[in-house]
Amino acid sequence: MVDFKKLRINNILLAKKTIREAVCEDDFIINSINNIEDLAKVANVLCKRLRQWYSLYLPEMYNKIGDNEAFVRLVLKKDKNTLMKELKLSETMGSDLSKNNLKPILALASRIDSLYTLRNELKDYLKKIMGVYCKNLLTLAGTVLGAKLIESGGSLKKLALMPSSTIQMLGAEKALFRHLKSGARPPKHGIILQHPLVGGAPKNKKGKAARLLADKLSIAIRTDFFKGEFIGNKLKEELKKRLK
Amino acid sequence: MKIFNKKFPNIFLNKRKFYTKSSDKTSFFDERIIVEKKSFFREWDSKRSKLAAALSNGISQIGIKEGSVVLYLGASHGYTPSFVSDIIGDSGFVFCVEISPVVARDLVVICEKRKNMTPILASANHPETYKQLVVEADIVYQDIAQKNQVEIFLKNCNAYLKKEGFGLLTIKSRSIDITKKPKMIFKEVMKVLEEKMTVVDYRTLEPHEKDHALFVVKKK
Ligand SMILES: C[S@@+](CC[C@H](N)C(=O)[O-])C[C@H]1O[C@@H](n2cnc3c(N)ncnc32)[C@H](O)[C@@H]1O
Repeated sequence: MVDFKKLRINNILLAKKTIREAVCEDDFIINSINNIEDLAKVANVLCKRLRQWYSLYLPEMYNKIGDNEAFVRLVLKKDKNTLMKELKLSETMGSDLSKNNLKPILALASRIDSLYTLRNELKDYLKKIMGVYCKNLLTLAGTVLGAKLIESGGSLKKLALMPSSTIQMLGAEKALFRHLKSGARPPKHGIILQHPLVGGAPKNKKGKAARLLADKLSIAIRTDFFKGEFIGNKLKEELKKRLK
Repeated sequence: MKIFNKKFPNIFLNKRKFYTKSSDKTSFFDERIIVEKKSFFREWDSKRSKLAAALSNGISQIGIKEGSVVLYLGASHGYTPSFVSDIIGDSGFVFCVEISPVVARDLVVICEKRKNMTPILASANHPETYKQLVVEADIVYQDIAQKNQVEIFLKNCNAYLKKEGFGLLTIKSRSIDITKKPKMIFKEVMKVLEEKMTVVDYRTLEPHEKDHALFVVKKK
């Protein structure tokens, strides 16, 4: 007779232990990058609201300061007169708000500012752990793109086992399926488009740049996964030369 | 609540929806629970479960019944496994194999609630790794979207399925080869299965799931 009761209890204990021990750098990286992305999204939505609200007070700021993060910092750090001077405004359409009516605007700005701060802290944290876990990938791809690749691929191990052509397409799976199924135009790249050497390449060279970058990324990732030496800078130089 | 079909006495139908009788009134998956004559019935959604989809499309046999010992491969959060657990009842048992620790957290929670379920964190691609954790099964059920899904299934049937036991295999044609027509893939799968097993029945899962099929085989 099989003792299912005992088997069940033992298996539950073993499964819990396996889940506990499976937590690794990949999980820290994936959670950080997901939060970095969402923090930026949330902060930008709120910042748009802040801009509208603040425009009752000093509307000329809206168009003069395009960058959201800079906008929030200025609202918090400088008063209306200073800002008008710095923006070379002799007059404004903004109304003089009472302290009572200005206070909630500044409170919102301060919360948004702390979202940006948190995002930057997470980026620093990511950079630190990736510097130990996958320094070659970090050097070649940068913090955010490197982490996004790990997130898309599932783990450093999975990335290391992928052909470079798959790495090139990560993040473009939908377009790729469409191409394979119905013969639509194939995508040339996925998220690696965010790399300055691909994104900045002239339009007719983007495909080639994406392929070359994916090749180098693949080498960097495998070297990291198999705990090889540091070749990140060398790979970067080679890539730059080939893309000249 | 009425019995769906004499062949499946533990599966119920109410207003064209499937239900199973549950010992537990917890709704883990936000499924609707109907109380009738002091029994709890959980709604089983054909859009979320390929087994329910196959039943809805008229599959003639699933082998799973009261008292069955089931080896379930690709258990995920435990949705379909929880309904299998209802069907087999207290005298049955289901071993739930899942590779991903993240989804398996939910699975463990359900297994702790249900006396006839247990989780196994392992890859079904390596059946030898859970040899000590399972027993011979009446049913092997597999729902894994991997390129070598048929090979994985046959390996497990070979290692753990009783003679004359039923094997249920869901196929996602896209995972095998996205460029081929699903119909062709299903034909090829049928051929491979027929070499080793007796194919009892199969159903495609439209409109519930696109490009999927469920095969029922019997071990010779
Ligand atoms: C389509 S889902 C299963 C859904 C589940 N059967 C249900 O109906 O509720 C497939 C699951 O198989 C798991 N999986 C993939 N490869 C596996 C393997 N080699 N061994 C075990 N599980 C695997 C995935 O992590 C995923 O959770």
